[in-house]
Amino acid sequence: MGRYEKVLNMLMDYDESIRLAVISNTSGDILWNSKRSSTQLQVPIAETKKALKRESQDWVDRCKAADRMALGAPLYHITSFEKTKRVTLPIDAFHLLFLSVDNTPMKNTKKKSYGKLVEMGKILSIVDFVNTFE
Amino acid sequence: MDKYEKLLDMVMDFDETVRFAAVTDENGEILWNSQRTGLKNIVPVSETKQTILRALHAWRDNAGVKKNIGSGLYSIASYEKIKRITVPLDNGRLLFCSVDNEPLKTAINRRKSYGHLANMGKILSIVDFIKSQK
Repeated sequence: MGRYEKVLNMLMDYDESIRLAVISNTSGDILWNSKRSSTQLQVPIAETKKALKRESQDWVDRCKAADRMALGAPLYHITSFEKTKRVTLPIDAFHLLFLSVDNTPMKNTKKKSYGKLVEMGKILSIVDFVNTFE
Repeated sequence: MDKYEKLLDMVMDFDETVRFAAVTDENGEILWNSQRTGLKNIVPVSETKQTILRALHAWRDNAGVKKNIGSGLYSIASYEKIKRITVPLDNGRLLFCSVDNEPLKTAINRRKSYGHLANMGKILSIVDFIKSQK
């Protein structure tokens, strides 16, 4: 099993709220993907592909910005919607990880909920862990 | 005081890690901004404007998936040293915040830190409060 498939498997195993995990190249073309079998995709795949294309271009811009300024390395990008969070992060110089994560608020919250927390520390540590074996 | 100036004041007062906050119009022009006293800009204003334009473009694209996954709430681009947050407001306006993301030096655990948590629930509740004002 390649390391990219391993990243997808580890992420899907770690968090049940991840509905779809994709690895694309820097042009936004899907290379590997893993979809949770028990869930239906909320967004048509054509829209996801469109988002990936835009995100991949945005990541090129973010990396260039990090080269020009003292921002430190770019880590991740989250776009949060009422029902879903979209997470993207570069996993190496040539590949991007895209996650679609369930963001439906928990029913038992008393205050207005804006959704669930995505544990980015855990996700980044999984990516770092898999990258150390390459 | 305009309600968006109040929004900036409340966001800056709520969290000392917010370095810079701005409200822009639908074309990316900065209408109001607030800079934390005593802090130097890591990012030149011209670069911030580029980021804002990219975010506005992305939020316009994201409108296409509203029927599938609800309204857009916020986006976070995280770098090692700062987080850049955007929140869509009404009439195409955008709230932009630059937040310190340096890992806490006093962190007890020995694991690698990926920075601070952005308290988006609090920021969104401030935005909702301001939106409800006339």
